[in-house]
Amino acid sequence: MDYKFALALSLPIAIGLAAIGSGFGLGRAVGQAMEAIGRQPEAAAKIQVAMIIGSAFIEALTIYALVAFFILMGKIG
Amino acid sequence: MGLEFITRIIKTTAALALIVALYLTMYYSGRVALGFLIGAAWSLTNLYFIKGMVTELITPNETRKDVAIVLGFIKFPVLYVGGYLVVASGYFSVCSLLAGFSLIFPIALLKVLGRVILRMDVFGFEKKHAEGAH
Repeated sequence: MDYKFALALSLPIAIGLAAIGSGFGLGRAVGQAMEAIGRQPEAAAKIQVAMIIGSAFIEALTIYALVAFFILMGKIG
Repeated sequence: MGLEFITRIIKTTAALALIVALYLTMYYSGRVALGFLIGAAWSLTNLYFIKGMVTELITPNETRKDVAIVLGFIKFPVLYVGGYLVVASGYFSVCSLLAGFSLIFPIALLKVLGRVILRMDVFGFEKKHAEGAH
């Protein structure tokens, strides 16, 4: 199998897996944050800060995957 | 630990990115320094938009959905299409872009660790509730 063919097959799967992982992570984080704010609305600011930092960390991994995708995409064509 | 903590992280990262970019210009090249700055700007924009969306949508007060939708519509083209153009241009070193992009994370981590070590208001909430339980 040509490496370009293998790359073209695996790249969408890899970026899809990254998106699924990020989606699960963000969904879980937001869900738990909503639950926590609903239970203790007075702690909303603290929960929001933790949520923002966590979301930035999770999304950074997706952006790393995206950058890798852009770089490898250039090698297929 | 209120939302001003995020603002401080953004300001510290921007200042540090400028200082590191100066060093990179001196010891490497202007292109690497510019890539580093663009990477840092990318992560700061990401954090800024996430902050806007979280504070507008995940709040016990009234949500402003229109603002959150506008932020979401701006965030994705700016970050992803802009990022694609930057990477696809091939002008910037990918390592410098990713180094700039990652700068915010050690800063956030060190700021949180500093607060934990100094026993600042990171634990204020838990202490109050622990005292209330007894």
